[in-house]
Amino acid sequence: MASKSKCHRVPLKRLTSVAALFCLFILPALAWAENKCSWMNEATASGILGGEATGMVTAGGAERATTCEFKQLGTGFMRTLSVTVEVTPDAHARLQTIARSCGGDAALMKAIGNEALFCPILDHKDGRGEFLVGRVRDQVFTIAIKTTHKNDPILTREMLVVRIYTSAEQVAGNLF
Amino acid sequence: MKNSIIFLIGGLFLAGSWIVPALAQQGGTQDATKPSPPPAYTPRPKGTPPVEDTPAQLEALAKWKAKEEQMLEADREAHNAVVTPSYNFHYGKLSPYTPGNVTVQGNGFLQPDAYPSAEYCGTCHQEPYSQWRQALHSNAFRTPFYRTSVNILIRDPTRGIAFARHCDSCHNPIGVLGGALTEDSKLDRSKFDSDGLTCMTCHSVVALDSTNGNASVKMGVPSVIVDEKGERIPGIVPFDMILKHPERHSQAVMHDFLHTPEFCAACHKANLPATLNDYKFIRAFTAYDEWQQSKFSQRNPLTFYTADFTTCQGCHMKRNPNTLPDYGAKNGTFASHRWLAGNTAVPFYYGFDDQLTKTIEFLRSGNYLNVDIFALKKNGDDELIAPLGEANYNLAPKDNVQVFVVVQNKNIGHSLIPEVRDLYESWLEFSVTDAAGKEIYHSGSLAPDGILDPRAHSFTNRPVTDTGEFVDNHKVWTIHSVAYDNTIQAGRSVLVRYQFQVPADAMGAFTVTAKVNYRHLRQSYLNNVLGKDHPAYPVVEIASRSRVLKLGDNKPEVGNSEDNPEWMRWNNLGIALLDQFQYQESVQAFSHVVKLRPEYADGYINVGLTDMMWEKFESARTSIHKALSLDPDSARALYYDGLLQRRAGNTERESADFSKVVKMFPQSRDARRELGIVYYRKHDYPAAIEQFEALQKIDPDDLAAHYNLSILYRRTGRPDEAAAQQGMFADKKTDPGAPTYSLNYLHAHPEITIESIPWHLHTDSELEGGQLQNGK
Repeated sequence: MASKSKCHRVPLKRLTSVAALFCLFILPALAWAENKCSWMNEATASGILGGEATGMVTAGGAERATTCEFKQLGTGFMRTLSVTVEVTPDAHARLQTIARSCGGDAALMKAIGNEALFCPILDHKDGRGEFLVGRVRDQVFTIAIKTTHKNDPILTREMLVVRIYTSAEQVAGNLF
Repeated sequence: MKNSIIFLIGGLFLAGSWIVPALAQQGGTQDATKPSPPPAYTPRPKGTPPVEDTPAQLEALAKWKAKEEQMLEADREAHNAVVTPSYNFHYGKLSPYTPGNVTVQGNGFLQPDAYPSAEYCGTCHQEPYSQWRQALHSNAFRTPFYRTSVNILIRDPTRGIAFARHCDSCHNPIGVLGGALTEDSKLDRSKFDSDGLTCMTCHSVVALDSTNGNASVKMGVPSVIVDEKGERIPGIVPFDMILKHPERHSQAVMHDFLHTPEFCAACHKANLPATLNDYKFIRAFTAYDEWQQSKFSQRNPLTFYTADFTTCQGCHMKRNPNTLPDYGAKNGTFASHRWLAGNTAVPFYYGFDDQLTKTIEFLRSGNYLNVDIFALKKNGDDELIAPLGEANYNLAPKDNVQVFVVVQNKNIGHSLIPEVRDLYESWLEFSVTDAAGKEIYHSGSLAPDGILDPRAHSFTNRPVTDTGEFVDNHKVWTIHSVAYDNTIQAGRSVLVRYQFQVPADAMGAFTVTAKVNYRHLRQSYLNNVLGKDHPAYPVVEIASRSRVLKLGDNKPEVGNSEDNPEWMRWNNLGIALLDQFQYQESVQAFSHVVKLRPEYADGYINVGLTDMMWEKFESARTSIHKALSLDPDSARALYYDGLLQRRAGNTERESADFSKVVKMFPQSRDARRELGIVYYRKHDYPAAIEQFEALQKIDPDDLAAHYNLSILYRRTGRPDEAAAQQGMFADKKTDPGAPTYSLNYLHAHPEITIESIPWHLHTDSELEGGQLQNGK
């Protein structure tokens, strides 16, 4: 951190070659490291999606949840696993609000965080998916697993339920 | 082709390994936990010799083994190539699992895929599989209660995930040994997090390293079968291979040590090492040593009572009739893999109703505790009205009544509460109600927010930091001292005294009730984990006793089966008073035992022991000699006689006493220690070393062994070993500054300070001099 501020204070032309190398190579590496998803690693997401996935983290803010998105590209199809986390004072109410997007299909998932509900999404010709919203204390999280493969042999309807549970257990466990 | 099919089947089993457990957790889908039906099998009649393989079959097996070994090694190399470069070797390349003590066979991290899944085992062993799925071992890692604690350690800026290997070595050994516990983990955690201690963690252990705890085992490369030479074959095998040679399967997975308490000690004994806390060794818990010192081990001659030998497994893995098909059943029974104990929180959270019900039944069964409303004192008189139920007494309005409640840890093979006393909560609830049901006095109630009355008598402890703050969130690495520890050790008793005043307008009778309650977990810890809006967690009444006290004359009751025999009631009072340093009263209580059972040698020993503590050695000698005249081979009496002979300067008699005790109880740590001291004082250093090394084998953390061996090794020209022992002594000895941290805490918490004083009274009444008890 101290080195980072030094890079900003010292005029560029006076930087030593070492400092320049630091700014050029180390800082981007640190930024990449900070881009890791706190609630699930790529290997776990890959296992859940059934193939090698790459992840991307979008930091949240006051009005926006932090998002981790993992994508696994197959031949002619894509599987995604998205996780969002936000901290909110009335987390239970927020969970209920989000769960409304399930319509009447929301079902209780036991032993995930303080509470969790899940429902199917995208169950049509463009693919299928499963969605979950849960809460750990004042943290509300969502998980969506989708596949654009309409006859996905790995993310079948049954397996989606299993895998969203597995994902939720990972995310909630890391939020505790 | 045949092999390809077998690999395909194996692959399907492995794929299933992370699918099925996940389904198991969904409410109402527990049927999904049931593995596929077992393959057909008819056990051969008992006594039939094992099937002999033909040369061709042996050759095929050898080929199979070679291929499996080759595959495992190739997978392991590939796994290490991925994991090792980014692994945080915080404690050096040679200590990848520190602060845990676990080690693993072979080179480098062991890939999680090397462990056959629980579902693979569950195909034939449906009974233990279904029990395990709801038990603590399968849920050792994933529960919110554990994750919250370990996440705090991981997120602590002065610690991090490398330090969590201390906890996960027992809670998630597959993750630790696989190299998952690093900042940039490359492992798919969904493969093992949900199964915690799966079948093939315990059943893959190949050696016990010591009884040091913190996962002090050597994990073998998982194997479910051995070949005809007894050599382990890694990986899964087709079921017909096991069914043809069940004896080879047993040889691979059922080591004899699995039946011993030493195996349990690997994780049910823990310390906080300097590598975790940057401070020093602090004992965390040691259910194993508590058992070893209890009557159930038959290794300690100094227990107050005796019992049949019973291991940890004897209580926590009782054999039960099978309810599901199981090829491992013996006479239709299987050792329980529920490991029933005290944890109601986990089954409550997951909705494992069977496990919850059986846990509550277990806590209430077994005659584990005895609650005795033993005696009264009135209006500040010294006269003890005891034992209640046998004594005559009179009660009147406005009487100031002191009630003596004796709680005996009668049949638990360890303390109440064992293990993490900062999280589990057991307490005595005491109430007095009048004939109309109106409450006159109540101690130990729960507030509407679920918090236990801080003035309750609890069997917990209060670990504190170096600034005297209570370690509320199980941040064990910050523990520097323990402000108080009110556990009841195995076989011992505590006396809890309550005082209340009979109302001036009282009429009729009063009911006095004392209950030992248990809650898993303490409310403020539950709040830390789940926030305050969680449902109330179960409070289990483990044992209770009520008595009716009448106004006016109270006559002896006709035989009451709820109470211990009268001599034992006095004995328990004596034990409790001894532990509370009330020596005079303790001697009086034990004297009642002697009067009631004049042939009972231990009655005299107890009087003698108390006199010794009271430094009345002449009187002690008389009692111990009386005991020896009744029972010349009493190891307990000989031990105390040895101490008295030492005091009198009779070295040979002292030596003879302790030698005899060691011969009768070779695993008595006390006798080994004292005999070592005898030899040390005789300058017989080799003999002294032998005793202290034997002591260290019993308890690797024994301070006397470290201290004396450091001197003895130096005097016998072994400076390196001497230095090592000296270092361990310095590390394990209590920090002399620790009491200050405790005092800081107690000073800031007057409401609880009284609990740190062994001899204290619970009352709402004003005492002499206008002072109030219990911080009120």
